[in-house]
Amino acid sequence: MTERPDPAVVDILRNARFLKGISAEDLDKLAAIATLEPIKAETVLFQEGAPCDRLYVVASGLIGLDMCMPRRGCIRILTVGEGELLGWSALVGRAAMSARATVLEAGTLVAFSAKQLEDLCDRDHDVGYAIMRQISHALLKRLLATRLQMLDMFGQSSNGAATDRTQDTTTP
Amino acid sequence: MSTVSVACDPRNPWLARRARIQRITSETPGVATYDLVLDVPPQAGSFSFRPGQFNMLYLPGVGEVAISISGSAADQTVIPHTIRQAGNVTRALAELSPGATIGLRGPFGTSWPDEDCAGRDVLLIAGGIGLAPLRPVIYDLLDRRDEIGELTLLYGTRSPDSLLYAREYDDWKARGLDVHVTVDRSDATWKGNVGVVTVLLDRLPLPRPEQTIVMTCGPEVMMWYAIQSALQHGIPAASMSVSLERHMNCAIGLCGHCQLGPEFLCKDGPVFRYDRVAPILKVDDL
Amino acid sequence: MTVDVTSSPPFLMPPEGLQALIEQLARLGYHVIGPTIDQDAITYQPIDSTDDLPRGWTDVQEAGRYRLERRDDEAYFGYVVGPHSWKQYLFPPHAVLATADRTEDGWQMQTPDDDPPRFAFLGVRACELAAIAVQDRVFTGGPYVDPIYQQRRDAAFIVAVNCTLAAPTCFCTSMGTGPRCTSGFDLALTETADGFIVEAGSDAGTDLLDRLPVRRATPEELEGAEAARQQAVDQIERSMPTEGLRDLLLNNLEHPHWKDVAERCLSCTNCTMVCPTCFCSTVTEVADLTGDHVERHRQWDSCFNIDFSYMNGGVVRNDIRSRFRQWLTHKLASWHDQFDTSGCVGCGRCITWCPVGIDLTEEVAAIAGAPQRTQPADTVRESAP
Repeated sequence: MTERPDPAVVDILRNARFLKGISAEDLDKLAAIATLEPIKAETVLFQEGAPCDRLYVVASGLIGLDMCMPRRGCIRILTVGEGELLGWSALVGRAAMSARATVLEAGTLVAFSAKQLEDLCDRDHDVGYAIMRQISHALLKRLLATRLQMLDMFGQSSNGAATDRTQDTTTP
Repeated sequence: MSTVSVACDPRNPWLARRARIQRITSETPGVATYDLVLDVPPQAGSFSFRPGQFNMLYLPGVGEVAISISGSAADQTVIPHTIRQAGNVTRALAELSPGATIGLRGPFGTSWPDEDCAGRDVLLIAGGIGLAPLRPVIYDLLDRRDEIGELTLLYGTRSPDSLLYAREYDDWKARGLDVHVTVDRSDATWKGNVGVVTVLLDRLPLPRPEQTIVMTCGPEVMMWYAIQSALQHGIPAASMSVSLERHMNCAIGLCGHCQLGPEFLCKDGPVFRYDRVAPILKVDDL
Repeated sequence: MTVDVTSSPPFLMPPEGLQALIEQLARLGYHVIGPTIDQDAITYQPIDSTDDLPRGWTDVQEAGRYRLERRDDEAYFGYVVGPHSWKQYLFPPHAVLATADRTEDGWQMQTPDDDPPRFAFLGVRACELAAIAVQDRVFTGGPYVDPIYQQRRDAAFIVAVNCTLAAPTCFCTSMGTGPRCTSGFDLALTETADGFIVEAGSDAGTDLLDRLPVRRATPEELEGAEAARQQAVDQIERSMPTEGLRDLLLNNLEHPHWKDVAERCLSCTNCTMVCPTCFCSTVTEVADLTGDHVERHRQWDSCFNIDFSYMNGGVVRNDIRSRFRQWLTHKLASWHDQFDTSGCVGCGRCITWCPVGIDLTEEVAAIAGAPQRTQPADTVRESAP
């Protein structure tokens, strides 16, 4: 952990949509416990079921989240991109990562140790409250997106607009 | 934004003109584009429409179906329609070959506000087959790319094999359309975005929301949430347009089938400014 | 073409003149349609003599109830309106719109020969004149004109009749459509003890008057006619609150009362069939056995039919609640947005012919009495972060 926050890290955090609404002062506190990690394509960041001890904000790049099961194999349920949160189980869950994360496009992650972040939030409740509020909002959006995926809106009985307004015809 | 063009024989708006299928292009599973040409003088080879409008395609003995025109409005000869097989008429259409004749009435309905885009940023959000009614807008705006600010397409479909017009994306990108694509369900080879198209919106910088025009077409639930997200980003409700869908039977506002609240989708729509229809979009079973 | 009613002097025609009127119309080539008793109701059908008219009969109507009873006089027009309206002649329940024939060059589409009779309508009430005016806007007032309606309408000759009584189900006064006939007719009759007071409302009407046994009406005869017409006004029982009605209904689309009505409504479509302004239809294909000759047929339909809103794998209005709401909000609210007028003329047919006696004046009063909203509902928005 560095004494003064790395300005590059501060910059990235300031621009991260996930952290919008957090004060500059609190951002500095976060930056102080964050590290930048470059990621290469095809690297596995963490496995489904692995213990959660780190969480990330994606500065750039694209990460695919997969869930695996016997016979069906591994299914990509979501991709996480710039400005989005990754590995939130680490802060609010504490059991195991709920998906395998694979890097699809190289980039940079801002990484936090879950323990250090938790300690920071326990010590400084203002920061803690701000972080939790941001995480809640991010989860709300992800929940909505997941539900939309579940609705299967492009499935058989629903189509996109305007290209199939079929009428019932009566056969004589 | 839109004008209703009186497109039928003024003596009988129920009468279809003859059109010939010039070419059929297979797009994705169950979806093909039919290029039609009007067959009979004096309209032979001459047809004009505004992006967002639709035709009633008529298969005698089977029925009519409303299909958005999916080609460039600059081409007055060939009229492309991208059609998904879903019911009686579209399935019968899929049995036809180039050279076959069908009936055509139109163009009907309101159009996208592509004429209001000069000097503004434009965001197109499409889902599934909803990209088809927006393609005429893409063609129009790319034809005058230097008049437009940022030009972005967000497009989502069920799976990678249902991405419509994928062959054209590189050309569109080269001409200045920023294309972002996502799928609900991945497959073994897909390396791109997985998730709903509304998530892509949150990743956009959107530097001038008050100067951004949004046009969206896809399942109603997708359009709704895309718009809610756009509103949160500060894009005004009056700058957004949707394309709605109901059962079409006559296309000329006389049969009553296509009503949604006070709107006849065939003549007051299918393209609406969002603030006009916002109050009725979320009323169940309207 | 229309003549100012107030400037054309009213005439008196003796009762025998009615037969002369029918004969003159037939001589001029009109197919005369008038009220006649059929299946225990007064309906509109082709007639050729006053013997066909329901002379001495009246109708007794209430919600869900219609009976004929004998009057104690021999009035020709001593009743109001029955299950028929004139829309079945101007907007026929079944019509061929276009044909398609398979030829060597491909499909050949054509407009069919439409040679309808020229109708003369005898006995059109004020509410029905208003209904015809409403349908004029629907079928001929927009960007697309229906040639079938236009042709029949242009050729029609209208003999209106001023009501001298009202049924309990009538509410034309609330809707501003009657009971006095003021325009939209060629001739208008008021039946009195002395005979018929006749007014011309057009050049065609004036011309016809010249061929009828009429003389100038005396002031006493005119007073008698006025008193007779006033009876109709005095007998009106029901009312519809029209002030702010459009907004009231469109602001209350989620009102719990819609569910109450749905529990009674059978979705039987009677109301839409008897309503003189309802215009919903469906176009279907009819092919011959070879499949080489095809016709596009239009038939009356109803928003109460369960598949009326069918679309790609599902029905949008999947319960009676949503279909009843569609009918009533269209008729009394959306119609204003679409056609700049109410869709309801206060004829009361829907009340009479509803098998369970649903009364739209009551249903509106229930929502007006306890509205959920007086302002439009906001859209739902996710709160900003």
